[in-house]
Amino acid sequence: MNLSFAGCGFLGIYHVGVAVCFKKYAPHLLLGKISGASFGAISACALLCDIPIGEITSDVLRIVGEARAGSLGPFSPSFNIQNVLLASMQRHLPPDVHKLVSGRLHISLTRVYDGKNVIVSEFPTREDLLQALLASCFVPVFSGMLPPRFHGVRYMDGGFSDNLPVLDENTVTVSPFCGESDICPRDLSSQLFHVNLANTSIELSKQNINRFARILFPPKPEVLSNMCKQGFDDALRFLHRNNLISCTRCLAVQTTFQLQDVLDDSHEYDPECEECKTHRQDALVDDLPDTVMTIFQNAIESANSGLASWLLRRRGMRCISLITLPYRVPVDILYATFTNYIGDKVETHALQYAVMGNVRVRRRRCLRHNNVMTRFVTSTPKMSKSLWRLSWSLLRQLHAFVYSAHDRSDAAARIYYKLALEAKKDTEDYRLDRRRASEVRVTYGDVVSDSDTFEHILNVTAHNDALLAYYYLDSDNKMKMTEIYDVTDADTEAVQSPTERDLNKQLEFDNDWSSDLIANDDELDLDNLDDDLLDRNIFSDPESEWTGQRSYSSSDGDQPESDRRIENFTAFEDN
Amino acid sequence: MGSELNLSATRSSWTGGWFSWTRQSDEMLRNIEKKILSCVKTVYKRFYVDIGSVVGQSDKIWTICLNEDAPRAPLVLLHGMGAGLALWCTNLDALAAHRPVYAIDLLGFGRSSRPKFSSDASKVEAQWVESVEEWRREVNLDQIILLGHSLGGYIATAYALKYPERVRHLILADPWGFPEKPSNVYEKYQMPLWVRAVATAVQPFNPLWAVRAAGPAGRWLVGKTRPDIPRKFAAFLPDADQLIPDYIYQCNSQTPSGESAFHTLMTGFGWAKNPMVHRVGSLSPRLPVTVLYGSRSWVDNSTSQLLTEHRPNSATYVQVINGAGHHVYVDKPELFNKYVLEACARADAYDPRETEAGPETSQGLDQTIGDQPPDHNVKS
Repeated sequence: MNLSFAGCGFLGIYHVGVAVCFKKYAPHLLLGKISGASFGAISACALLCDIPIGEITSDVLRIVGEARAGSLGPFSPSFNIQNVLLASMQRHLPPDVHKLVSGRLHISLTRVYDGKNVIVSEFPTREDLLQALLASCFVPVFSGMLPPRFHGVRYMDGGFSDNLPVLDENTVTVSPFCGESDICPRDLSSQLFHVNLANTSIELSKQNINRFARILFPPKPEVLSNMCKQGFDDALRFLHRNNLISCTRCLAVQTTFQLQDVLDDSHEYDPECEECKTHRQDALVDDLPDTVMTIFQNAIESANSGLASWLLRRRGMRCISLITLPYRVPVDILYATFTNYIGDKVETHALQYAVMGNVRVRRRRCLRHNNVMTRFVTSTPKMSKSLWRLSWSLLRQLHAFVYSAHDRSDAAARIYYKLALEAKKDTEDYRLDRRRASEVRVTYGDVVSDSDTFEHILNVTAHNDALLAYYYLDSDNKMKMTEIYDVTDADTEAVQSPTERDLNKQLEFDNDWSSDLIANDDELDLDNLDDDLLDRNIFSDPESEWTGQRSYSSSDGDQPESDRRIENFTAFEDN
Repeated sequence: MGSELNLSATRSSWTGGWFSWTRQSDEMLRNIEKKILSCVKTVYKRFYVDIGSVVGQSDKIWTICLNEDAPRAPLVLLHGMGAGLALWCTNLDALAAHRPVYAIDLLGFGRSSRPKFSSDASKVEAQWVESVEEWRREVNLDQIILLGHSLGGYIATAYALKYPERVRHLILADPWGFPEKPSNVYEKYQMPLWVRAVATAVQPFNPLWAVRAAGPAGRWLVGKTRPDIPRKFAAFLPDADQLIPDYIYQCNSQTPSGESAFHTLMTGFGWAKNPMVHRVGSLSPRLPVTVLYGSRSWVDNSTSQLLTEHRPNSATYVQVINGAGHHVYVDKPELFNKYVLEACARADAYDPRETEAGPETSQGLDQTIGDQPPDHNVKS
């Protein structure tokens, strides 16, 4: 089976989520060819040569940060996406990468002089590969004026001719735009009006319009984090729907379920196999791995909790920064021209990029000053750089001191937040709508929380890292909404995990549903139920739990309209 | 039953000679349609059916008919929004092998008359249903197997609701208009202002307004925005990449009568004003329904699920066609034809009119399948 990643600029973070999921649950699917255009090609390359996903994520976020920092956003003259990309690829790709990916990585390019699509898959040297990747990411005007050459011919972004290169019938298409792709976000929409741009099917919905704008103007890290998570979820749903999540032992032994069409080259799946079942349940419970989540957290923290960004977020400051824009842009342009001049003049060709990196770092800091503080002191533009730096570091110290409460160890923070969550559960009911297509509405009934919750929490933290990462995200109260969605998400997907009972009182409830409703799944679900009961008796605290569960199911009998949907869905896949 | 529509009826008067590329469009449309239909091997007849004054003064419905004299129940195909009967070209041969097949241009689309529909959603729906019923009476068919794609699926369902005794089997291919528009209270906060502004600004327009607004560039626009549709036909039609965009453009560059009617049916971004979900419960319980949809096209099997939920004692068959999108009939034509033929075979075996005793005693096979939870999909 082949994979194809759509080009999508900064939305490429979606591919990272998909890649995480495939790597974790379906590594056997990555043996085929992977194609891509633009950022999709970079994701494909990274996926093929096994770079730690965390590094990719941090890199993308760093680029996003830089893009957002300039006075005109990513269009600022001082932000050169080609250089940034090249530098990070140089750093991360292994030295023999061209051997690893030759013949498997298919990069879609657009030939400049006739606009035809070219797909390249052979890369004799590492430089060739990098050039091809760079060319595939080249958007005229945005990235620069002159398209790069690959084997002597100028190419630009593959997205202009074939954004989603499909190699053969068995290609799984991945696209961050809701449309007719195998793995894509499913927006709540009527799915009626489509356009097909450069082979990528894009539905005309509000969400897609919004996403479209994000291709070149990156959103905030929170949004990116959600996109990445969504990629993970969508990939998971795809695997689940096609019964591709299975264990190796099953592959070898059982022969009951035959997959066809898109997936003919895959293997058998046996619904009875215990290992398969647990694997799949794990998968459903699981969310993004911890490393990726931590990077996101850091990015969000740094974007949100700084004193400077607090200032920036005030409305007055925003106005000022808008008004001063015309003054900042020429300065920025001057600066960029100057640094470029220096860069061109001083360095030899070979060393250029490394030194550029240094220059860029310094400049970035300087830019930051521009953004943050210039408004106060526009009258004293001649203040020396070192003084700036000094005051800046002072500010940072101060800031670190003020916010030191946030710098506790992860575990402590988690527990802290966990407690907060429990307390909230006591006081009020949440009724939340998640907006995506696999819509789940969850109501927390009044759950009776026991006095020794703390023990529980410790216990659960030990077992479940990925889920709790989301709680931690929530712990700064600024973005409560989003984070609670995530909690909801985790909760409902965790329904079948025995270890998650402390949070999910609806566990038994859901199993009841499935065993009642779904005749052909009787045995499986009854098994689950038994397991759960067993686990419950062994691990969890007795009475309070039971009352909690009971009160839940009685008080919210009307609720799981959508839960039932999910259940049916699952059962449908089990068939 | 002539083969020409009065040309002056379709000519836009106020535009004068300036928009002259639309003037010949009915003739051009006829020729293009003929070229597309050249890939159909079976002998066919094309003719206008005069249905009298259903919506306008004298409405005519453009019809293609294959294998007219076969003895089995005829299959009637209703196309989707903005399409026409020629787009069924990859399916006609297979479907017409053993039974009569009729495909029509819905009133207001393709070569049919383009009267002005009502501006009330339920009236529009009734008008379309009436036009199909008048057409059936005019062609003199007693009982039909009704297949609708997209908007056609909506009309077919509405027809089956009104005239249950005329429908032997209802086949819905990726039907439009079943689920209700979800209320999303958070949307206001999730979407930036400009996105909402754009969405609101576009809503009063007809769905395909851009094609007409583009004027001479409309044909180019169709080819650019939907290159996937001609590509799907390429295996069956030699010069599909020319003909199909031409056809779609010609179908939609004339007076947008059916399109405005569809716009009346619609609320928000393509949701149905009167979604079928509230009404499928009152479909005749004896009427078997087959739902076909592409795996890439739908969020989940919500339509089939709605149907099975609301008709617990009736037969509902669901087929997912893997790798197919919304245009399921041309994405995987072989599979689509196979499933439709299966549904037709079921329709031959079981006539809802003959079993007056009620659902319990009537449907041997169907009953057992209908009783199952909504998950008995046969995966392809």
